[in-house]
Amino acid sequence: MSDTDSTTESDASNGSTDRKDKGGAAIGSGFQERKLGKFADTALVRRLWKYMRPYRWLFVVCLLLLPAVSAVSLVQPWMLQIAIDDYLIPGEFDGLWFIMVVYAGTVVGHAFLTYWQQYLMKYAGNLALRDLRQDIFDHVQQLASSFFKKTPVGRLMTRMTTDTENLEEALSSGLVTMAGDLLTVFAIVVILMVVNWQLALASFIVVPFLIGFTAVLRYFLRKAYRTVRTKIARLYAHLQESITGMDVIQLFVREKVSRDEYSDINAEYRDANIRAIRWDAILYAVIEAAGSITIGAILWYGSGQALEGIVTLGVLVAFIEYMQKFFKPIRNLAEKYNLLQNAMASSERIFELLDTDEIIESPADPEPLPQRPYRIEFRDVHFSYTDDETVLDGLNFEIEPCERVALVGHTGAGKSTVINLLTRLYDIDDGQILINGRDIRNFDIHQLRSQFAVVLQDVFLFRGTILENLTLGDDSVPFDRVREAAEMVYADELINSLPGGYEFELAERGSNLSSGEKQLLAFARALILDPEVLVLDEATANVDTDTEALIQKAIERLLAHQTSLVVAHRLSTIQSADRILVLDDGQLVEQGSHDELMELGGHYARLVQLQYATTASTGGEDGFIEPLDHDD
Amino acid sequence: MATPSDKPPGSEEFALPPDVRRRRLWQYFRPYLKWFLAGSVFLVLTNLATLSIPQYLGDAVQLLRETVGAPGDFDTSAVRSEVITASIIIIALAIGAAVARIFSRITIFNAGRYIEFDVRNALYDHLAKLSPAFYGATPTGDLTSRTTNDVTYVRLLYALPFLHIVNTLVAYSIALTRMVGVDWRLTLACILPYPFLLFGLRRVMYALFTQTKVVQAKLSDLSTHIQENLSGIDVVKSYVLEQRECEHYGEENETYFQENLKLAKIRALMNALIILIASTGTLVVLIVGSRFVIDGSMNLGEFVEFNGYIVALVPPTIALGWVFAIYHRGIAAFDRVSELLEHEPQLQDPDDPGSLPEPSGQHVGEIVFDDVSFSYDGDDAALKDVSLTIPAGSTAAIVGKTGSGKSTLVRLIARMYDPDEGEIRIDGVPVDRIPLRDLRCEIGFVPQEPFLFSMTVGQNMRFGLDSLAYDSTLDKALPDEPLLGDESFEGALTQRDRIQEAIDIAALRGDIDGFREGLETLVGERGVTLSGGQKQRVTIARALLVNPRILILDDALASVDTHTERRILHQLDTIMQGRTSIMLTHRFNALTEVDKIFVLDDGRIVEQGTHGELIEQNGVYAQMYQRQKLREQYDQ
Repeated sequence: MSDTDSTTESDASNGSTDRKDKGGAAIGSGFQERKLGKFADTALVRRLWKYMRPYRWLFVVCLLLLPAVSAVSLVQPWMLQIAIDDYLIPGEFDGLWFIMVVYAGTVVGHAFLTYWQQYLMKYAGNLALRDLRQDIFDHVQQLASSFFKKTPVGRLMTRMTTDTENLEEALSSGLVTMAGDLLTVFAIVVILMVVNWQLALASFIVVPFLIGFTAVLRYFLRKAYRTVRTKIARLYAHLQESITGMDVIQLFVREKVSRDEYSDINAEYRDANIRAIRWDAILYAVIEAAGSITIGAILWYGSGQALEGIVTLGVLVAFIEYMQKFFKPIRNLAEKYNLLQNAMASSERIFELLDTDEIIESPADPEPLPQRPYRIEFRDVHFSYTDDETVLDGLNFEIEPCERVALVGHTGAGKSTVINLLTRLYDIDDGQILINGRDIRNFDIHQLRSQFAVVLQDVFLFRGTILENLTLGDDSVPFDRVREAAEMVYADELINSLPGGYEFELAERGSNLSSGEKQLLAFARALILDPEVLVLDEATANVDTDTEALIQKAIERLLAHQTSLVVAHRLSTIQSADRILVLDDGQLVEQGSHDELMELGGHYARLVQLQYATTASTGGEDGFIEPLDHDD
Repeated sequence: MATPSDKPPGSEEFALPPDVRRRRLWQYFRPYLKWFLAGSVFLVLTNLATLSIPQYLGDAVQLLRETVGAPGDFDTSAVRSEVITASIIIIALAIGAAVARIFSRITIFNAGRYIEFDVRNALYDHLAKLSPAFYGATPTGDLTSRTTNDVTYVRLLYALPFLHIVNTLVAYSIALTRMVGVDWRLTLACILPYPFLLFGLRRVMYALFTQTKVVQAKLSDLSTHIQENLSGIDVVKSYVLEQRECEHYGEENETYFQENLKLAKIRALMNALIILIASTGTLVVLIVGSRFVIDGSMNLGEFVEFNGYIVALVPPTIALGWVFAIYHRGIAAFDRVSELLEHEPQLQDPDDPGSLPEPSGQHVGEIVFDDVSFSYDGDDAALKDVSLTIPAGSTAAIVGKTGSGKSTLVRLIARMYDPDEGEIRIDGVPVDRIPLRDLRCEIGFVPQEPFLFSMTVGQNMRFGLDSLAYDSTLDKALPDEPLLGDESFEGALTQRDRIQEAIDIAALRGDIDGFREGLETLVGERGVTLSGGQKQRVTIARALLVNPRILILDDALASVDTHTERRILHQLDTIMQGRTSIMLTHRFNALTEVDKIFVLDDGRIVEQGTHGELIEQNGVYAQMYQRQKLREQYDQ
């Protein structure tokens, strides 16, 4: 009956496939048909139930509301029947008001109950979903860095957004609505059969044809939509790539040829849609016609019964009314089934992520951290990120308490890796990392990490005020201390020059600050933490000369007080270190002070020599060893 | 008309002036006017058939009413056959309506798809005209959403509202005429609540539309947070911020949840309202109509007939509400799409085009920069007063550190940008007087970032050849001479042979033999992932095959090992015999045989000469050269 519903649904579902494809695999790499999940995978349902369980009473209320919703809507034809048989035909007016009130009551009641049923359903589903979303996030926070190294961010994003959204359909409307539709269909069958089974059979005469027809049409429609999805994926891949490579297209004057290609795919996409429109229009019209044909069938068979006095006219009209309510749920059932399949596939992927247990764990019974100050030792450390590429190959060194150590070496020597291992972002393959003679794997991992203040090349700032970023959201840090730290590293002046000062709102990833400014903030943050050991991976990013001077002075002050390990690129930083460790191919090749190493005339001396040549030719603005080094 | 500018489309809400919008909307609608008209005819037929059913039903019911209630012995078989006839007519009408409905939907929705097709093509055509400056300034995500989702909404803007508005108009006119024919008082009573319900529905639909946007914004906040967190995960761990991050995410998750609840409320309200709309008519018929039936001013058949009309009007009424939301979204999308289409390309073809002189034996490809200055953003000059001459048929190199303006200089030759001041001439003709595409036919550009398309390796190599082969608007003939100019060669070479030759020149033979499907191997995730060096060599083959007058290698061999580089460069000398090649490089040992080297620093030419001359000068070039020698020693 309802023209609009189906139109918009079919168009909307069409639109949504478009969007899904866009969010899928990398552009230009083709695409993969989304795997459909098993409809009822008990293991999955059990796991989903875990999230529904806390709100089970809400779900129960929703389920209980379903028969009520069906009931009020199915009372209406009955009232119509009574009105016709008992009042209209005999011409009786007294008492009709009661029927009218009941009818009006069912109309209002139907609307009212539908409102609450649907709202509560969404409420319950979204509660469960909120918990699931949080669980996924919390779980991902636990995962080891090695997991992130091999899993593309895009894929994780899809798990945490698109897939969870798909699940919403199942949790908050799909299953229960399906139950409601089934209930309504079932109730109508029972009512009609009880009232008059012969007329009921006549009423259902189109149903088998309809189901058969629908199944066939759906088959064609599904096939058509599959083609549509393939074509749109190709179309968007072409478009996306054209946009990315437009300069190449223009340089090779291929605009017209590429456009013709695009137009061809576009035409294929259009024609695939036109095929889908054909099946969709037929399916739609058939379901619409089913209602009217049923009217004819009821009239045909029912008139005989009416003339024989077996059924009243009221019953005849009521049958027609019931059958008009019969076809919509049938159509919905088929559509919901597809949605649920999709949701099941998503939940499978989500639980797969939740099952990932690549976690660097604290020992069950962690040792307390040793007395400060710390003496750090790397003893014959071997490490590789992947199986085939050794990064550290028997690295040995130690850092004495309050010593300032600089790590140098060229790209791939393993400098940044040293930092990653010290804070246990990765676990070493062989050897030991020791603090005061104790293996770091014996300590609680969070306690261990809070001994270090790590300033990485890529300064991590989040959306929020500068103050929040400096204190890392810890409200208990007194403002004086924040200010003192900021002054110490020359960040105070910079902060005060921003509108709002310490309350200045940073954009996502701090993109409204320059990279030099971000570094100063990171220094202040490290100082506020007051760590036992400061670890600095000097950034090589280009900063203007003034900021560069500030940064150099700030680093000087930053490193003045505690044990520090610096992956150094600036000559000034290196020269002021107590000891320089020169790494090459994952091993320590030289160590000593700047002067000692220069005298030695080895690796380090050549590095510095190269730097002087650089400075001479380029005016010295570049960082030390900059051309060779970016990141490990 | 907008002034030519490459300012990116604004991120703020853009609205077309109403008359421009009307004109543009009509422009896409016009070609399919006939289809829409045909669709309308089918809609009229559908509704005529559908809305005849209540009358036959009513008549049959009335007939039965009179027969069943009639006293005495009455021959029922005549009545029975009359009712059966009515049933058959109803079934026939239902089938007829279905057929007309199929055609109405097919014609109108197909027209929508054709409009979508046209809009997509128009967008692509237009995008192909916009210059690199535009692409540099416009976020890809924005372009993508305008060219994908927005176009979908534009399609919906045409087909759905047209279908529903026409359908509603037709259905209402037919039904109201018939209803008034039955009983005008009842008609009035039934129609009375609808304006209010419709008004309510429109408001709810609008709220739904607005709240959906809010929810989507919150979802995107959530995604942003996840993205931010995942890309900084090592820092999060180092600073032991997991707890804080989880709480922070928890807050956003909660906000998203709350906004979703609001959306759920609106949606539930909408569905409740739809139920009210669907049942109110019948309720009114029952309350008011039954009075008329009892007092005899209306018979039972008419009562049933009337109810039939009211039920038939429900779907078009609800559709109106949908149309409203679709229309709003569609117009916003249409404006965003039109904004792109209205964007004037910055680089225009000259009004009085000149043409490059035909090469006739003598050397070609002379490039002259005459006091050229250029900046990307109007602020920091990338090139300052550059004057240089690269003689026809020579090999030149441009060196300088990163950011000195080397790439900018060669991009100006290919007229990817126009200089702010000064003039650039190729073989004596200013570049902005040569039609853009004719100019680019003569330039083989190998960009710094080797960009390959996800087609086969062979298709990537033929990329420029295809333009010459299939684009009839280009004057340049498909080259058919061998790449390595063989004096004794006579006649024409097939492209297949030229490609084989290019494979050897670009040192790709081994790589391509290694691919299972050779030249037919797909590039990208579905096929092979090429290494940086392989990609660069494919892009070199791509540029050489079009037989350019000027070959530009923008640091194009950086990922190729020195031995292969030397081999390729050596052959390039022969290939580009009589034509000009320009290379940008960081490797100085490739420069000993170059005719002229230009040293750029901070957008200015600071030195020029041959390698030997520059070494002798002992300036910037000599120092850079020294430094590289040192690094080589260090690396060994």
